Amino acid sequence: MKTRYFVGLMAMLLVGLTLSQQSPFQQRVQQAINSGGNKFAETMKQDRDQALCSQYRDKLPPEEVGAFLERQRALIKYPADGKLMGDWKQGEALFTNPRKGNCYACHTGDPKEAGAGRMGPGLVGYGQRGTSEPVVKYTYDKIYNAWASMPCSLMYRAGYHGILTPEETAHVTAFLLDPASPVNAKR
Amino acid sequence: MRDRSLWIGFLVALGLGLSIALTQQQEVDPYKEAERQRELFRQTAGILPGELYAAQGEELFAQKRGPKNASLEACDFGLGPGKLEGALTQLPRYFADTRRVEDLETRIVSCMVNLQGFRPQDIKREDVKALTAFVASKSTEMPINVVPRSSQEIAMYNLGRELWYHRAGDRDMNCAICHDSYAGGKVRLSPVRSPRQGLSNEWPAYRFEADKLYTLEDRIAFCYESVGIHPPEYYSEPMIALSIYMLAEATKGKNKFTELPGFTR
Ligand code: HEC
Ligand code: HEC
Repeated sequence: MKTRYFVGLMAMLLVGLTLSQQSPFQQRVQQAINSGGNKFAETMKQDRDQALCSQYRDKLPPEEVGAFLERQRALIKYPADGKLMGDWKQGEALFTNPRKGNCYACHTGDPKEAGAGRMGPGLVGYGQRGTSEPVVKYTYDKIYNAWASMPCSLMYRAGYHGILTPEETAHVTAFLLDPASPVNAKR
Repeated sequence: MRDRSLWIGFLVALGLGLSIALTQQQEVDPYKEAERQRELFRQTAGILPGELYAAQGEELFAQKRGPKNASLEACDFGLGPGKLEGALTQLPRYFADTRRVEDLETRIVSCMVNLQGFRPQDIKREDVKALTAFVASKSTEMPINVVPRSSQEIAMYNLGRELWYHRAGDRDMNCAICHDSYAGGKVRLSPVRSPRQGLSNEWPAYRFEADKLYTLEDRIAFCYESVGIHPPEYYSEPMIALSIYMLAEATKGKNKFTELPGFTR
C-alpha cells in the first residue's frame, strides 16, 4: 500500500515537473483561476515580474531588486524623433481620460480638477524641478514604465502596456513639466 | 408577485431620477449621500428597494418550484435545514453534501439543483439575487463569524489570499493595492476599506448609483471590471475564494454586517 502510494506520488510530481515549473500550490491557484472561465483566465495571465510582485506581496527582497529594475528598464521605448517632451495640451487630455492615462485616479495635477485621488504623490507644481535632460527623462520613464524605478509600484506601466504610445507619453510628460501647463500655473 | 415587480419598476425609475440628480453635484460625502437617498426612499415609497428584493426572495423561497415541485424550506445553509437566522454570518463554509466550499449564492444554486431539480443552466440570476437578499436579511447587523476550520475551508482561504495579491492586466492591479495599501484613503471620491476594516459587510446591497441589487459576487465582479480584468464567472472558485478571504479577515477585525440588504452608492 505504502509503496504504491509513494510511486503514485512520485509519478504525479514528475508529471507536474515536466508540465511546468510551478509548485503544487501554484498549480492549484492556476486551476482555480481557470475555473473562473476563459476570459477571466486570459486577463489574469501574468508576466514574469507581475508574478514576482504577487509572490512577494509587492515588497521585493533586496537581492531581487537589481535584476528586476534592469528587466523593466529594457522595456522602455522612446519616440522616433527622440523628443521626450511633446505638446502639453494633448498631454492634458491623455492625463484626464479614464481610458488612457487616468492619472487623476491617483494624482492631483491641474488644481482645478475636482475629486482627484491621493494614492500617488501630488503633482501640482511638478514643473518646479525644471526641464533639464535628467528631469525630463526621469519623468518620461516614470510614466512609460513606473516599475523601472520603483519595483511593484502601484502605479501601472502605461507605456509598456500600450495604454500610452511613446509619443503620447511625451505629451503627458509635457503636461507635467511645461511651464505653460496648468499644473505649473503661478498661484 | 406581479404587484411586486411593478413596485420594483417604479422604484427603479425613481432611483434613476435620484442618481441623475446626484451626478450633477460634486464632492458630496458618499456616506451622507447614501443616508440621504435612503431617507428619500423611505419617505416617498415607504419601503427600501432592498426590502422589496428580499420580499420577492421570500416568496420564491416558500413556493413549490422546479421539476421536483419543492420549496427551498429544507435547504441547509450550515445551521440545519431551513435555519436562516444568522446563516450568512458563517458563510462561505464547507458542505459535505456537495463536497464544496460554498458562499450564500452558490449554496442557493446547489439547493435549487438538488431540492428543486433545476438544471444549473436554467437557473435565473435574478432569482438567485432575490433569494440571496431574503436569506441575508436574516443576518442583519449580526457579527461576521467566518473562521476557516476544515482543510477545505483553509485551502479556499489560501486561494483567496493568493488571488487578492495577484497582479495582472494592463493596469497591473491587485485587490491589495487599493484595499490594503490605500485603506482609509480615497480613489476619486470613494473611500476604500480593507478586509480587516470590514470590507464586504454590506452585501447584498441596493446600489442607488447603479439602481440595482448587488450581491458580494456582483461587487467583486465590479472591482475586477474597473481594473480591466474580465470578472470570474458567478459561483466559480475565485468568487468563493475571495469571499471567504475577505469575510474571514473581517471576522478577525471583529466586524458586524450592516443592515441587510445594505443600501449604498
Ligand atoms: C494607481 C495609482 C496611480 C496611477 C493611476 C498613476 N500613478 Fe503616478 N504614482 C503613483 C504612486 C504610488 C507613485 C509613487 C511611487 C512611484 O514612484 O512609483 C507615483 C509616482 C508618479 C510620479 C513621480 C512623482 C515624483 O515626485 O517623482 C509621476 C511623475 C507620476 N506618478 C505620474 C503619473 C501619470 C502621468 C499618471 C497617468 C499616466 C500616473 N502617474 C498614474 C500612483 C499612480
Ligand atoms: C483601483 C482600486 C481598486 C481595486 C484594484 C479593487 N478595488 Fe474594490 N473597491 C474600490 C473602490 C473605490 C470601492 C468603492 C468603495 C465605496 O463605494 O465606498 C471598492 C469596493 C469594493 C467592495 C465593496 C465595498 C464594501 O465596503 O464592502 C468589495 C467587496 C471590493 N471592493 C472587493 C475588491 C476585490 C476582491 C478586489 C480584487 C479583485 C478589488 N476590490 C480591487 C477600489 C478598488
